[in-house]
Amino acid sequence: MSIGKTTATTGFDLRDFIVKYGFILVTVILFVWFASTEPTFRMQNTLFSMLKFTSVVAITGLGVTLTMVVGGLDLSVGATAGLSVTLSAMTMVIYAQTGPVALIVVLLGGALVGLFNAFLIVVLKIPDLLATLATMFTIMGLKLVPVDGQSVSSGLILRDGSVAPGRFTEGFLLIDRAYIGPVPLPVAIFFSLAFVVWIFLTRTRWGRVMYAIGSNPEAARLAGVKVQRYRALAYVLSGVFASIGGLILSSRIGQGDISAGNSLLLDAVAVSLVGTSVLGMARPNAWGTTLGAVLIGIVITGLTIKGFPYYAQDVVKGLVLLTALIFSFTLSRRKSRFVPAV
Amino acid sequence: MIKNKALAGITVVAALLLAACSQGTSDTATGADEGTVAEATGTKPAPFDAGPVKIAIVQNSGAGDYFQQWTNGANKQAEAIGFEVQVYDAQADNAKQATDMETAIGSGVAGIIVDHGQADTMCPLINKALDAGIPVVVYDVATAECAPQAVTTQQSDASLAQAVLDQMALDLGKDAKVGYVNVLGIAPLDRRHVVWEAIVKANNWSQSFFVGKFTNSVATDNAQLVDAALKKSPDVVGIFAPYDELTKGAVSGIESNNLQASIKAYGIDISNADIEIMTKEGSPWVATAGTDPNAIGAAVVRNMALEIAGQLGVKSVDFPGVLITAQFLKDNAVKNMVDLRAKLPELNLASVSGADWIPAVQF
Repeated sequence: MSIGKTTATTGFDLRDFIVKYGFILVTVILFVWFASTEPTFRMQNTLFSMLKFTSVVAITGLGVTLTMVVGGLDLSVGATAGLSVTLSAMTMVIYAQTGPVALIVVLLGGALVGLFNAFLIVVLKIPDLLATLATMFTIMGLKLVPVDGQSVSSGLILRDGSVAPGRFTEGFLLIDRAYIGPVPLPVAIFFSLAFVVWIFLTRTRWGRVMYAIGSNPEAARLAGVKVQRYRALAYVLSGVFASIGGLILSSRIGQGDISAGNSLLLDAVAVSLVGTSVLGMARPNAWGTTLGAVLIGIVITGLTIKGFPYYAQDVVKGLVLLTALIFSFTLSRRKSRFVPAV
Repeated sequence: MIKNKALAGITVVAALLLAACSQGTSDTATGADEGTVAEATGTKPAPFDAGPVKIAIVQNSGAGDYFQQWTNGANKQAEAIGFEVQVYDAQADNAKQATDMETAIGSGVAGIIVDHGQADTMCPLINKALDAGIPVVVYDVATAECAPQAVTTQQSDASLAQAVLDQMALDLGKDAKVGYVNVLGIAPLDRRHVVWEAIVKANNWSQSFFVGKFTNSVATDNAQLVDAALKKSPDVVGIFAPYDELTKGAVSGIESNNLQASIKAYGIDISNADIEIMTKEGSPWVATAGTDPNAIGAAVVRNMALEIAGQLGVKSVDFPGVLITAQFLKDNAVKNMVDLRAKLPELNLASVSGADWIPAVQF
C-alpha cells in the first residue's frame, strides 16, 4: 500500500499505463505486424475464420471466468465440451432425433455437470480445483461408455449389429456453418455471450455480489449473501457455456469425435487468466476474456501463416500467459485474488 | 584428482549424450530423406510458367514416423515443381483441421491438398473450396461420394493385399490350413479383408482361426490371441495378418509356441523395425507388402500439379503396393528403409502421375 502511495504522481505514470493498456498495445502491435507482413492474414476471410476458431475457446473461457469471479476455477470445461459433442452425436445419429432436441440435450447435459460440480464443492465441501478435476476425469471416461469408446458418425455399427439410423441434421450443422451477413454464426454467439456476461457481472446485483464473494466470501456471508447459491450458479453457468462451446465444436466436426475438447481446458483457462490483466482490472472480467481469446487467436493464426511449427505456438501462448500474469500480479497495484487455494 | 574425476564424468556423460543423439538420428533416418530430383524435359504449362504457385497442405496430423516421411516427400516434390507450400498441421484435432481448411480457402492458394481427416468434417469444406474454384487433392479420406469433384488418392489396399497373398498362395499351394489375424471395421483393413476372402476361396484354404483386436498395444495384445489360437490349432502352415502391428503379434504368437519351423507369417506394411524382424535368423515372417510414405507424399503433390494444370483427367489415383520377401531382404543385405529403397526402385512411384514437365523426386 505504502509503495503505491509513494510512487503515485499526478503526471504520466509509465507503470500504470503499461498495466492498463499494455495488453491492448501488444494485441494491436502483433496484429499490425502480421497484417503488414502476410497479405493472407489481412483478408476478411482469414480474420473471420480466426474469430471462428477462437469462439469455442472464448465461450468456454467466459464460463471459466464466471467461476473465477466467485473465487473458484472449473477444470471440467474441456471434458464438458467433449461430452456435448458425444451427446449431440448420440441424440441425432443413434436415437435419430432432430437438431433442436440435440441442442436441448446438450445444454441440459452441461447444466447437469455444473450442478454436479456445485454439489461436490458446496455440499461435500471439496475444494474447487480438486472437485472439478475429479469431474473432468469422470466425464472423459463416462462419455465413452454408451458409445463403446468409438466416435459416433452416421453408418455406425451398433452393439446389436444394426446400423445407426440417424445422422447430423442440416440444421444442426448450420450452428457452425451459417452466417449473419458476413459474420459467422459462432462469432456472433461469442460476442453476444460476452456482452451478456459483461452486463451480468457489472450491471446487475448478482454480478456484483459474485465479485464480492470472490474477494471476501466471509464478508459477503456476513452481509447476508447466500454465498453457496452464487457459487453453485457460477458452476452451472460454466457447464452451460462449455456445452455451448461443445455444440459449436460438434457442428464443426460433423461427427461424435471422442477426442474433441481435449485441448480446450488449458486454452479456456489461459484466456480467462490473460483476461484478468486487461485494462489493469486485475480481476476476471468478460471483456478481458474476450480480448484474451482474440489475442491468442491472432497469435495462433499469425504464427501458422508464418509457418511456425505448433510447438513454437505453445511457447508463445505460454509467454503471453506469463506476461499477463506479471501484469496482474506483479505490476498491478490492485490486490489480485481470484485463484482458489487448494 | 578430483578435477580429473569430474572431467572423466563429464566426458562419459557427453559421450552418452552423443551416443543417444546418434542412436536417435539413425532410428529416424527415414524422416528426412533428401531424395534426388530427376530432370524435367518438357516446358511448364500455365500457371507454372509464371513463377511459384502457392498451395496449402491441410493435414490432420503431421506427427509420427509415417506422416513425417509423407510430409518430407511432399515438401521435396513441391520444391522441385515450384510450389510455395503452406502446411497446416491440426495435430489430430478435427475441429482445428476444419478451421485450417477455411483459412487455406481464404488465403487465395491455387490448390489445396487434404491429408487424412474425417469425411464428415472435411467434405463440406472441400466442396466450398471447389465452389471457390480451388482444385482439391485428397489423400486417404473417403470423399468420393460427398465431394465427387475432388481428386481422391490412396495407397491401394487391394494391391498391397494382392501382392503379398499371391506370394502366400505360391508358397502354401492349394488346400492349406491357415490362420487369420485382422480387425474388421477399420476401412483399410476391411479392403484388405476382401482380397483375403477371395484368395482363400480360390485356393480352397481352410481357415482354422480368425482372431484380432485393436487396442493401444496391438502387437502385444494380438500375440496373446494368436498364442491361444495356436494352442488349439498348431497344424496351420500359414498366418495372414494384414497390418504390421498385427503381424508382429502373429510372429510372437508363433515363436512362443515354438512353431516357426512349420508356420509362415505374411504381413502388410514395412518399416525399419519390420525389416529387423523379417531378417532375423529363423523368422517366420517371410513376406510383406509396402509403400514408401516419402514417395506417396511426392506423388500426391504431382497429382496436385497435374490437376492445377488441367492435365490430370481422372478423379481417383491409387498408389500400388510392392511385394517384399524376407529372402529378398537377406539376399540384398537390406538393413533399413534406406537400403530397401536403393534395392527396390518400384517403391519410388516415380512413374506414377508424372509428366515431362514435372521433375519427379526419387528417394
